[in-house]
Amino acid sequence: MTYPYVVWLVLFVVIPMLMIVFYAFTNAGNDILFFKFTLENFTRFFQDADFLRVLYTSLKIAFLTTIICVLIGYPTAYVIAKQDENKQAIYILLLTLPMWINMLVRTYAWKGILMNFDVSSEFKVFVGMVYNFLPYMIIQIYTSLAKMDKNLLNAAYDLGANKMQTFLRVVLPLSIPGVISGITLVFLPAVSSFFIPKLLGGGDYVLIGNLIETYFITTGDWNFGSAISLIMAIIIIISMYFTKKIDKKIGEE
Amino acid sequence: MEKENKNLWSKLVPNIWLILIVLFFYLPIIYVVIFSFNSTKSLNHFTGFSLMWYEKMFNDRKMLEPIYYTVLVAVIATVVSTIIGTITSIGLSKQKKIVRELVLQVNDLPVMNPDIVTAIGLMLFFISLNIETSIFTLLIAHITFCTPFVVLSIMPKLRTLDDNVAEAALDLGATPFQALTKVIIPQIMPAIFSGALIAFSMSFDDFVISFFTTGTGVSNISIFVYSMSKRINPSINALSSLIVAVVTTVLVIANVIPMIKARRPQAEVVKKKSKLSFVPYLAGALALTIFLVSFGNKTTGDFDPIAEFGSDTLNVFNYGEYIGEGVIAGFEDMYNVKVNYDTFASNEEMYTKLMSGTSYDVIIASDYMIQKLIKDKLLQPLDKDKLTNLTDLYHDALQYMEFDSEMVYTVPYMWGTVGIIYDETLIDSEDVETLGWDVFKLEKYRGMAYFYDSERDAFMVALKSLGYSMNTKNEQELLEAYRWLIEMDNAIDPAYVTDEIIDGIINGEKALGYVYSGDAAYMLCENENLRFYEPHQGTNVWMDCMFIPKVAKSLELANVFINYMLSYDIAYANSEYIGYTSPNEDVLIALSSEDGEYYEIDAYVPRIGYENDEAFINDDYIRKIISEYWVKVKLN
Repeated sequence: MTYPYVVWLVLFVVIPMLMIVFYAFTNAGNDILFFKFTLENFTRFFQDADFLRVLYTSLKIAFLTTIICVLIGYPTAYVIAKQDENKQAIYILLLTLPMWINMLVRTYAWKGILMNFDVSSEFKVFVGMVYNFLPYMIIQIYTSLAKMDKNLLNAAYDLGANKMQTFLRVVLPLSIPGVISGITLVFLPAVSSFFIPKLLGGGDYVLIGNLIETYFITTGDWNFGSAISLIMAIIIIISMYFTKKIDKKIGEE
Repeated sequence: MEKENKNLWSKLVPNIWLILIVLFFYLPIIYVVIFSFNSTKSLNHFTGFSLMWYEKMFNDRKMLEPIYYTVLVAVIATVVSTIIGTITSIGLSKQKKIVRELVLQVNDLPVMNPDIVTAIGLMLFFISLNIETSIFTLLIAHITFCTPFVVLSIMPKLRTLDDNVAEAALDLGATPFQALTKVIIPQIMPAIFSGALIAFSMSFDDFVISFFTTGTGVSNISIFVYSMSKRINPSINALSSLIVAVVTTVLVIANVIPMIKARRPQAEVVKKKSKLSFVPYLAGALALTIFLVSFGNKTTGDFDPIAEFGSDTLNVFNYGEYIGEGVIAGFEDMYNVKVNYDTFASNEEMYTKLMSGTSYDVIIASDYMIQKLIKDKLLQPLDKDKLTNLTDLYHDALQYMEFDSEMVYTVPYMWGTVGIIYDETLIDSEDVETLGWDVFKLEKYRGMAYFYDSERDAFMVALKSLGYSMNTKNEQELLEAYRWLIEMDNAIDPAYVTDEIIDGIINGEKALGYVYSGDAAYMLCENENLRFYEPHQGTNVWMDCMFIPKVAKSLELANVFINYMLSYDIAYANSEYIGYTSPNEDVLIALSSEDGEYYEIDAYVPRIGYENDEAFINDDYIRKIISEYWVKVKLN
């Protein structure tokens, strides 16, 4: 029963990925039969201070967004999980409802709202990102808090722990998996987002997603565009690998 | 007393916090709903209550199509990926560990990969296999990124299942199929539902992957919104408000009914609630789809287009917001055909789409791009016998049609120049008129200017200002132009935008910028403090034309459509609505005369025959250099 999907994965996941790798390591004018491998696209990226700055900015803003999402998302999820069950359902519904409105439409609305304030493009992009990705964080943390066994808390109280101690020693460690999957769901799309910076950043705020779009759509340099895509994919896969490792370590403890 | 206070606080603070968070989430939605009732196009000034955008939305069939496609694709992708995901997960749980781990690793790829990488991979795949993009490629793409979420949702649940239960069922005489449907599936049902829900919402909200993999006439809401960037059409606010209303109703019904039932002493309903609450989502979506399908399929008249033209559908590709209201619907009604009308934001985007195998019958694009398409032999000659309306063209403007001076492949649609637009109450007219393009280097206007985010236009400005040809092949001159732009960036620190210039300057966000003459005509009508100036250093005279690509399928109908667009009435309607100058001399005269919409609007009648003005000539090599430079200017 597994094989149809294996075929599907090979066709539409593995082969397309290999094509990006192929384009990234070749130059225009090559065809499938006569091509020459080259590292030119990569050296071009890493030898250019401007591209490296774009990479740095993208990582920085994704990192900031993730931190703020944890800082806002955790208390929110915690407060919701404390409500009685009917209210919990209503709050979760309230928070997920806006996600049914198209992301682009909501971002356009932010553009209109933020036009009224004199803030930097970076701040605008930042607001747009936090807004778009915060619900994922809240839901992940909420899920891990909600399925926590209430008896554990009672046991902690019975053993003489105060509220703070219970939170730090019992609740927080048990909710870490939720926080980590939340981080994955926020950091990933934040690094590669190209619509939010394009719309809210006003053109002079370029992130790596915009760079990829520029090289594919405007410049038509698919080889360089593929190389940037590959660089981004590798960075993300490496960071995911480490997050998973941390997750495992905490799980073991 | 103190303790009570503390209690009050510990109750109040969390509630205030939650209210603030909810407000944050709803702020843009409230904004969208409010501005859907705005009486003008402005997106940040509420000028008065009006229902005009709702009226426009319901009058324009094309506005509802994106909802239809979004829901259709989301429903099909959800159903297919849920089935594939469930079967695969059950199969995987029976596989050897090594196989299972390997498949799950690959399954993780679309989840971990940035959307844009998945999108580009699929696009490259379809192009190399010469698969024409269509709703099928879109569906393949959606199923590809939805299924992994279903698998990820079901696998953990399957691991917790007790194998003995299924074995017991087999021992008791159940067939393997019965064991599957009666024992295993019911146990993992909640996981299947949540997988399906994730799949649905991923598909419903997707933009990037759809953008790169969809075909002609198939735009979801995201693509539709994105391609409206030429000029924002507030009907999208009305459309979104409608979606808000529908979704809210469905969700309220889905959640309130079980709650009312739960009050009655029927324990079973309560127990089942968590499971069933997913169903109404899909039911609601299906109902909406059916409603919209019935909306979309309007047929009129008994004209038989297939007998007459050999085809009853036409794929048209145009700039966003670059056609009169009801013009497409008028053509559909006149010939009883269906027009798939797609829009793009730039010539380059159009080129990429065309290259990626999308088939269009009629395209409207600009001079230099047409020159490239003709050179690459991608266009086919027009059928001049069909183009009976190709009369009364404004001959002075045609001198800029060097790329196809005999009009073998193309006929003009709109034309104009590029010039400086400024608010004369804030920017000194004398500065603009003496300095021309160099006004963008005056430090006293720092923070007050927009600059077009387009490398071609930016280098045109810089090269003209330096006294060079905008089509120069001299790399030294291009380097000088690059330095000019860096100096400009340091001096006035402009906002690099595209069509925000239009609303931004009308609303007084900024006071200086440069725009296409057609946009200027519209802006001058909206704000009487604005002035338009075509710099003495020279500018770009451009021409947008209609043409038929080689890949066209409805050739005859395409010629009929172009002829329809050339007719006086339609040319008038288009030019009046968008403010761009018509190449039809009679239309131009009528609209700029005393009774016309653009009387005394100088931008509507662009400068012609000035010695320093030029048309763009395409050069792929130069284009690469300047786009590289342009990325650097913006990163400066």
